[in-house]
Order: sequence, then structure tokens, then C-alpha cells
Amino acid sequence: MTRLLDITGLRAGYATVPVLHGIDLHLDAGEAIGLFGPNGHGKTTLLHAVSGLLKPTAGCVRFDGQDITGAKPSAIVAAGLVQAQQGNTLFGDMGVQETLELAAFNTRARSGWQTRLEEVQALFPRLAERKRQRARTLSGGERQMLSIGCALMCNPRLLILDEPTLGLSPRLKGELREAIAEIARKGVPLIVVEQDVEFLLALSSRLYLVEQGEIARMINRADAPDHKEIMEMYFGEQAH
Amino acid sequence: MDGVLIPTLVSGLLLGSLYALMASGLSLIWTTLGVFNFAHGALMTLSAYIAWTVSEQFGLGLVMGFVAGVGAAVIAGVLIELLLVRPFYGNRNMMLITVMTTLAASTILERGISMIWGPRLKQLPRTLDGQVSLLGAPVSAHEALIIVLAPAVLMALWWYTGRTRSGRSLRAVGQNPGSAALIGIDVPRTFSLAFGLSAALAGLTGVLLGSIRFVTPGLGADPLVNAMIVVIFGGLGSLGATAGAAYVIGLLEALLVLWLGLYWTPSVLFVALILVLVFRPNGLFGKAT
Ligand SMILES: Nc1ncnc2c1ncn2[C@@H]1O[C@H](COP(=O)(O)OP(=O)(O)OP(=O)(O)O)[C@@H](O)[C@H]1O
Ligand SMILES: [Mg+2]
Repeated sequence: MTRLLDITGLRAGYATVPVLHGIDLHLDAGEAIGLFGPNGHGKTTLLHAVSGLLKPTAGCVRFDGQDITGAKPSAIVAAGLVQAQQGNTLFGDMGVQETLELAAFNTRARSGWQTRLEEVQALFPRLAERKRQRARTLSGGERQMLSIGCALMCNPRLLILDEPTLGLSPRLKGELREAIAEIARKGVPLIVVEQDVEFLLALSSRLYLVEQGEIARMINRADAPDHKEIMEMYFGEQAH
Repeated sequence: MDGVLIPTLVSGLLLGSLYALMASGLSLIWTTLGVFNFAHGALMTLSAYIAWTVSEQFGLGLVMGFVAGVGAAVIAGVLIELLLVRPFYGNRNMMLITVMTTLAASTILERGISMIWGPRLKQLPRTLDGQVSLLGAPVSAHEALIIVLAPAVLMALWWYTGRTRSGRSLRAVGQNPGSAALIGIDVPRTFSLAFGLSAALAGLTGVLLGSIRFVTPGLGADPLVNAMIVVIFGGLGSLGATAGAAYVIGLLEALLVLWLGLYWTPSVLFVALILVLVFRPNGLFGKAT
């Protein structure tokens, strides 16, 4: 197994507020990992620092052996590290199909974009039914599908999903989780942020608990028997 | 009356075409970066002077003049974005700051042009000689060309922003720069692209205008206010609305000049703008929210 993503001692924050205090995390090719933790403890900040939307203040991010710390987001996407944002509104006045076509923007994504579009439409038939509908008029669930669809159109070598089922009905949550599991089965390495630890355990080989801007705990699936304990720990931590 | 009305409508159409060319350049930058480029008129002027120098002084012909003029405008436009707009990107007051910085660019360009080319009036040759008849009124072939060219340029722009990868990337960056970056669009490069394209339009308009009016340092700045009225009047955004507003303002201006004279026309245009914004805050053709 080659190491696809290697994060060491990563620090980042906003203006004068440091949020991440030295994150260490890694992912091997063909692997899926999960992040969870209480609200506002730095999960999204970590993902933004990885995808280039936020410049890290210290530490190192290596993707496929290449140092991408502080690189431009477009260069990071071109290398194959692609992120679907939390609660993404995308491009309000653009149609569904148009948005998906545009998302195949980087040079690696251009060849074979038609095939990828068909795959995305097979994964999310709702998107195929709404080709010309504008993003701003989509429901929350459809928007999430479009957001994940866009990320897939980028031809990711590593796909990062930030709370893809946030605020959705149980039925839609299930639908999206099934789609995410399908993406993982196809062999796309994944980093998924979710609040539902059960779902993450089923999907990924390793879980990280992000708390106070640090990795408070790393859990291997091999240790799954104590996942009840994980739940207790997680909700216990959240209580104070 | 009949003898005056048709020529007035034709000159309104010509004005509308010029406003459409100017306003589409302004709105390209507005929709991508959310700023107004007050140096747009000065870029037109620069292009006309460069075209004059290359075509008349160097005697290289109007085609070379066109190329040089548009090229100079593009270089100046990209530099304005790089030096005077980009440093303020992400600033909360970006809109206001760039009003000042682009106004500064406009003043510097205009004064520089006066210094280099002096006060003597210049005129560019017409692209086409001869006359044609439009709705029974005689029009110079050059003016007829502008009337035909403006809708063609607008259609090309509409196709570009709606159908091509790079055109769509401009709209994506304008609507959500963060998401655009996350699908691999180089946002700063897209800003340069928007300014470069807009400047090319300014350059084209400047050269066309320079053979209808005398080329003076205020060539482009004079119609700029009306072109901005057009953009706001149209509802700040869609190309179709901007084009529609350009022709409405052009025709209205021509008719007002006929009825009220030059003196009161600008005031009445502003009152019309304010009334439209009171009753239709999203512009004449803007979507209701
Ligand atoms: N743009 C910003 N400017 C200033 N502070 C911010 C900004 N974005 C996030 N923060 C702060 O950084 C901290 C971490 O936020 P972050 O979004 O990373 O949390 P999270 O773990 O993703 O939370 P959630 O589960 O609610 O998505 C929070 O205290 C938040 O208020
Ligand atoms: Mg978050």
C-alpha cells in the first residue's frame, strides 16, 4: 500500500484565532477513513487547509508523495485531491448539467468526461431528471448530490466529503449513504466527515475523533467491538 | 416630423449599439468580480489613440491599427486588474475601494494620453466607405457596420459565457469563487481573463467610435456614465437584459435630444433610471426576487 495522503503537525486558523493545533493523519491508496467530532472543533477547517482554501500556518500536507502545503486550490484539484464542501450552494444560476460539465475542468478530468457524466447520472438518477434546473432551486438533498457529482466529475484520486448528509431526511440520508458506499466500492479513496459513527465504521478502515483542533483519538475498524464505547465517548465528550 | 423621426431612430439605434458594446464589457467584469471598472472609457480612448498612431502616423493601415489598439487595451486592462483590483480581493469594502482605484487609473490614463498625443483633434478613418439606406434614412456604411456588429458581438459573448468551458468558468467564479476553486478553476487567472476580455471589447468600441467622433482624451469617458446607467438599468447581470437596456437608453436618448435638446437629456435619463429602480429594484429586465 502506498501512502496517498500524509498530514503532519498541521496548524491553521482564521485571522488571529488558531483552530488546528497540530493534526497528524494519513490515508493509504484504496482506503477510506472517517472524521467525526463535536461541532465547531475544526473538521471543516482541517479539510479547507488540505484543499488549499485556507493556508496552513505550520505543518505539512503530502499528497502522493508531493508536498502540497499551501498550494493553490486549482493545483490541488489538478493533482487529484478533490473536496465537496459542507452545505455547498454551488453556482445558483447555473443548470445541473452545465455545472457537471464545467466540473470536468482540470486537464486530468477532461478526457472521458462523458463516461464520467453517465456514471454520475447512474449514481444519482435525480440529477439526470433535472438537467436544466438551476442549482438555486434544487432541494437540499439534490444539491448534495450535485455537489458530490461535481467532485466526481473532477476525476478524483482522493475524494473528501464534508458532512454529505447534513440536514437531510432519514430516507435521503440513506440514499446518499448508499451512493457513498458505492463510490467507495468502485475504489475511490475517501475521507468522509459525518456525525453518524455507525455509518463511518461500516464505510472506513479508520476513524479519527477531531476535538479542540486535535486528533483526540484514532480508532481502527479492527477494534470495532468497542464501537458502543466510541458512541459513549463521543456523546460524553460532546456533553461538556 | 416624419422627416426627423426616422433619422433620430437610426441614431438612437447607433447609440444603443455603442452602449451595448460598452455595457457588455462592464457587465462581464461586474458578473465575475462584483466591481465596476471606471477605467473602461479610458481603455477605449487608449485603444483609439494607439490605433490612430499605428494606422495614420506609421501608415500601417486600419487593420494593424485595430490589432494594436485592442492589444494595448488588453494589456492595460490586465495590468489594472493585477495592480489595482487584485490586492483588494476579499476586502469587505472591495467594491468601494475599486471605484477609487479604477477612477485613479482612468485619470492617469487620460492625463498620460493628453501628454503623449497633445491637444490636437484626431480622427480614425472609417472601416467602410459609402452610404447605405436604413429604414429609408441614409446612414454611413461604417455606422451601419456598428449597428450590425453590436448584436453579433453580443451573440458571440452569450454563446461564449453559456456554452464554452472558459466562458462558464467566468460565471462560476462570479457566483461562488470558493466552489469554483474546489472544482479546479484558477480564480485569480479567471479575474485576469474577465478584465482582458472586457478590455478587448473596450478597445474594439474605442476604435469604432474614433471614426464617428473626434479622438479626444475624453472619447471613452464621456459615454461611460450612460453605459453604467445601462448596466444598472438592465438589472446588473444577464447579458440579454444589459443589451435590451442599451437599446432602450440609446433610443430614449436620441428622442430626448430631439424633443428637449442636449441640455436636459442627461438629467431626464437619470430621473428615468431612478424611477425604474423605484418600481423595479432589479432593473428594467431584472428578475423579481
Ligand atoms: N471563516 C471563519 N472565520 C473565523 N472563524 C471561523 C471561520 N470558519 C470557522 N471558524 C471557527 O473555527 C472553528 C472550527 O470550525 P469548523 O467549521 O472547522 O468546525 P467543524 O468541526 O467543521 O464544525 P461542524 O461540525 O459544525 O461543521 C469554529 O470555532 C468556528 O467558529
Ligand atoms: Mg464542518
